[in-house]
Amino acid sequence: MARHSKLQKQVLSLYRQFLRAAQDKPGFIPRIRDEFHANAAIKKTDVMHIEYLYRRGQRQLELLKDVNTKQLGSFSKSKEDSS
Amino acid sequence: MSRTSHHKRLRVHRQPESSNMAAVCAASRVLGRKIVSSKALPAVCQTSNRKLHFSIYGKRGDAKVSDAISTQYPVVDHEFDAVVVGAGGAGLRAAFGLSEAGFNTACVTKLFPTRSHTVAAQGGINAALGNMEEDNWRWHFYDTVKGSDWLGDQDAIHYMTEQAPAAVVELENFGMPFSRTEEGKIYQRAFGGQSLKFGKGGQAHRCCCVADRTGHSLLHTLYGRSLRYDTSYFVEYFALDLLMEDGECKGVIALCMEDGSIHRFRAKNTVIATGGYGRTFFSCTSAHTSTGDGNAMVTRAGLPCQDLEFVQFHPTGIYGAGCLITEGCRGEGGILINSEGERFMERYAPNAKDLASRDVVSRSMTIEIREGRGVGPDKDHVYLQLHHLPPQQLAARLPGISETAMIFAGVDVTKDPIPVLPTVHYNMGGVPTNYKGQVITHKDGEDTVVPGLYACGEAGCASVHGANRLGANSLLDLVVFGRACALTIAETNTPGEKLSPLKPNAGEASVANLDKIRFANGSTRTSEIRLNMQKTMQSHAAVFRTGDVLKEGCDKMESVYKSLEDIKTFDRGIVWNTDLVETLELQNLMLNAVQTIVSAEARTESRGAHAREDFKDRVDEYDYSKPLQGQVKKPFEQHWRKHTLSYVDPKTGKVTLEYRPVIDNSLNAEDCAAIPPAIRSY
Repeated sequence: MARHSKLQKQVLSLYRQFLRAAQDKPGFIPRIRDEFHANAAIKKTDVMHIEYLYRRGQRQLELLKDVNTKQLGSFSKSKEDSS
Repeated sequence: MSRTSHHKRLRVHRQPESSNMAAVCAASRVLGRKIVSSKALPAVCQTSNRKLHFSIYGKRGDAKVSDAISTQYPVVDHEFDAVVVGAGGAGLRAAFGLSEAGFNTACVTKLFPTRSHTVAAQGGINAALGNMEEDNWRWHFYDTVKGSDWLGDQDAIHYMTEQAPAAVVELENFGMPFSRTEEGKIYQRAFGGQSLKFGKGGQAHRCCCVADRTGHSLLHTLYGRSLRYDTSYFVEYFALDLLMEDGECKGVIALCMEDGSIHRFRAKNTVIATGGYGRTFFSCTSAHTSTGDGNAMVTRAGLPCQDLEFVQFHPTGIYGAGCLITEGCRGEGGILINSEGERFMERYAPNAKDLASRDVVSRSMTIEIREGRGVGPDKDHVYLQLHHLPPQQLAARLPGISETAMIFAGVDVTKDPIPVLPTVHYNMGGVPTNYKGQVITHKDGEDTVVPGLYACGEAGCASVHGANRLGANSLLDLVVFGRACALTIAETNTPGEKLSPLKPNAGEASVANLDKIRFANGSTRTSEIRLNMQKTMQSHAAVFRTGDVLKEGCDKMESVYKSLEDIKTFDRGIVWNTDLVETLELQNLMLNAVQTIVSAEARTESRGAHAREDFKDRVDEYDYSKPLQGQVKKPFEQHWRKHTLSYVDPKTGKVTLEYRPVIDNSLNAEDCAAIPPAIRSY
């Protein structure tokens, strides 16, 4: 398998940092996983987009690490109701 | 759960047997620790037939549940000791005042702090420092009470004017680069409505300034100072609503514009410092972001707003562009002239002339234009002349407006006069507070404090400005009451206090509203509705107001409010959805506008900035133009020296009005005697 590029390594390291930071706070891990898995579909060549998401992710990581952030919930609207 | 409600609302998902809970338990087994804290999903079920449900574990769980989900809004919960909404002059002062006192503070702002509208303030900040001539804060107190047309609460005015010198010295110590006199003391210029010896000693020079860019320096100084403290800034987070429970404010819910996530900031103390709502009018000196978000949040929480009918028209806004030309020009010697080249203010205010109070000057200008002595091809504005002043003085003391006049009016101030017109500038009304900054409501004839909620700055109404604000008192108001909120919170709370429990679905109505707007598919655009509202307000609630014109305006505003239901937005995304944010701002503006016009229509007198053509006199409990001997005091319902408290039902836009008495005693009668009402003339 080809070695990971520098950007790929950065993204993976960010993912690891996210998972570590989210351990004590309920609700973050599934969302982190979903977000990263959804964005994994972005083409490797689309560097601008990846870097933008990476920078945004770093800001969100800072927020997550902050001691005042407590949990992640969600308000969801089910399909049948939104007709 | 039965589904009897036919419109979209949020549902709280709490049954332990649900698939979500099963998923949570499964996940917690996997991760080896308890994921769900007890406060997140309480055991007691509350049946509600609403359409969004709140859960900790998002989409995880049963496939059936995850397929059924069409839209999901992740909600991050934060816990702080205090939250400040707004990062202008008042917000920053409150935020770092709280951080200084040791509180864990969050500052939620939709703009970067140095872009708040405080940066545009030009004139200065009043304080009785006595650098230009002998001065006394009690004279400043008198001027402010008179300026407010005796609608200001004298205890709050006493507090502000007494604290003024200390506040200015504190700012100077923070590094604010005030203009200096030859001796190196802070330069104070003359400003409208300021006098010596309780009005008998001539013009006072009390306005400390930084050339004509005081607001800019103030905001940058405060921002620089705030970086020393560990306040957490949440920049570009649009505050949607207050989290109210049992009449107590438990925090704020906000939308992060950058990634579209919702954030709930739980705190025991919330400070509203969101500024005014100039953008309800077509022509105003305010930024596009002055949308009265704080007033609207308070209204939606079922609390009243105070004195919203008092909108200040600044005499000198550039004709056409609406940009502000500071009163400091007139303080430095500029004069207003009509088409005949006459200094017309001498007729309307023989003593103060151009430095009379702003409402007096605005009315004078409007009368001149109406009587046909306006300038320009349409004779619809007047001139502000500065070219008779020495150019060095203009360059030293008024550089900012020289540039503004060149850019927006194409005028060289050393040669030609500037075309000006009264323009909406400031909102005296806002969230009612006491002199300590605590938000109050009026129940059973008594002022009661709303626990956990504070307001300061233009968003608050303490009320120091009453029916009309004197120039340079607003920047003072910001720093004094920003600090007052921080001090009050520090007095009554300790850092690190445990938060009271909050319902897990708190804020669902705000998110439901957000969702509704995001997918709105009616027929009118946001910009069209906004323009309708602005034009209606501009033509029906202007400098001079008449009963039938106001009534027509109220009806038109009602239909504009209803047209909100038919709104159409175009951007369906959630990241940087400015269409959504502008629509939320429009909703906020609309709540402010209806309260303004309905309160104006109800007030049948002329007081301060509210001038009625059909009711030209001030209606107080006594007729102060005659001696008081032998006069019968009018009962509360029959006079107008009282504060208006307005409530709105957000669903229908219907405004209900109540009234509350003015506080006529100062904080300390020996130190500073209260000023009894009198006829107001300049």
